[in-house]
Amino acid sequence: MRRLLALLLSLQAFNVGLVHAKEQLLEVVVAAPYLEMHSGPGRGYPVVYVVGRDEFVTVLYSRTDWFKVRAAGGQEGWARRSELALTKLASGEPAPIPPYPQFTTHRWELGAGYGVFNHQNLVTAWLDFGITDSLDVEAVLQQALGTIDNRYVASIGMRHTFIPEWRWFSPTAGIGTGYQYIDDKVPPKPLQTSNQMAYVSLGARGFITRRFMWRADWRKYVVFTNQNQNEEPEEWKFGLAVFF
Amino acid sequence: MEIRLSSVLLAAALLSGCGWFHRGEKGPAPIVAEEPQAEPSIIEPQVNRREVKTPKIKAKDFEVGAYFGALSIQDFGVNPVYGVRAAYHVSEDIFLEGFLARSKAGTTSLEDEFPDITIVSDSGRQFTYYDLDVGYNVLPGEIFLGRGRAFNSALYVTVGMGDVKFADKDQFALNFGVGERLLITDWLALHLDVRDHIFETDLTGRTKNVDNIEATLGLTVFY
Repeated sequence: MRRLLALLLSLQAFNVGLVHAKEQLLEVVVAAPYLEMHSGPGRGYPVVYVVGRDEFVTVLYSRTDWFKVRAAGGQEGWARRSELALTKLASGEPAPIPPYPQFTTHRWELGAGYGVFNHQNLVTAWLDFGITDSLDVEAVLQQALGTIDNRYVASIGMRHTFIPEWRWFSPTAGIGTGYQYIDDKVPPKPLQTSNQMAYVSLGARGFITRRFMWRADWRKYVVFTNQNQNEEPEEWKFGLAVFF
Repeated sequence: MEIRLSSVLLAAALLSGCGWFHRGEKGPAPIVAEEPQAEPSIIEPQVNRREVKTPKIKAKDFEVGAYFGALSIQDFGVNPVYGVRAAYHVSEDIFLEGFLARSKAGTTSLEDEFPDITIVSDSGRQFTYYDLDVGYNVLPGEIFLGRGRAFNSALYVTVGMGDVKFADKDQFALNFGVGERLLITDWLALHLDVRDHIFETDLTGRTKNVDNIEATLGLTVFY
């Protein structure tokens, strides 16, 4: 019943949205005594123009913490996020400048790192989506480069962060499933070149600065083979990630 | 109570939904009893509600492009290299970058001297690598061209790791580099890079670390 209601209401919202689909640029009014425009998106670039209070600027796009803006007279330059956040809309409301992402409540994470998989060098990269502050879905792609073979491992799993509000160090645990492909370097050929796997993991994560975080992870895999015994390789890795 | 409330809301939503489906069609003319004309009211409120929707700001933090140059494959001569690159700029200082490139090795001096000897098969001479790097803009600044033009630029260093496939084998490789980014416009950049790919190999008899230095010129687009 409620779902039906929600669906109908969202259809109505979509109906309204269709009418105003035309894209526009954001226009804001300077509310502080002035807004400085730099020649480039960085702290060292010189100020090339200053917009006074109550004047309009158009926000064109952003790069990292800087926003390309155009003054009423056509002058263009880069304004800092913290300064642009002080501007207002024509209606007097605060300008909707996206805030800096918060570590403890971030949603997406993209990272890469180094590790060891079964005594082999491991290159790893991952994408992580937070369903809640403490529960994530992680998708990992990695390549283990050994002297005998070369493995590609893709895995997907769930991870729990025990105390997400601890910024600097917070333990994690996870489970998941994966798939490995073995590309042999030295004969004999492996009996199976691809296997399904499952894993459990223990790890930790922490905030570094701004939008950076670190993550360390230990994993125990079970590789399902068609022989009498399953393989049980171990892996540990350490990486840096960006959250947004 | 709650169910009844939901039913009422649902009925309302359904009714308004029906209105949407019948938009544009004229309903049957209402039958109104004829009445003597009253005095027209003085004020007819005509309120046009404007839907206020604040536009979103587009983030242009990604950079993609291609490059070409010369790669010195240790013991195998200097050869052309072609690649693609993609970067994500995290802050004004730091970026993450990925590279994927290919080259083809020449012959060693031993093979040149003794043509009967082959160290690497013809297909094994393909040199392919990928790298995952983190970069730091060490010296951001401006480059002046004549009196009237200034281009934003940055000298950056990168460090990373990846895979080098050479002689039909994949090897774990580290890389270190330094580069210069020159922004022709805010969305188009020219890159000059020098990078070293280091990995361990036993191709020439004994196991050793080899340095494979490349110098490349690239063009990238921010979006």
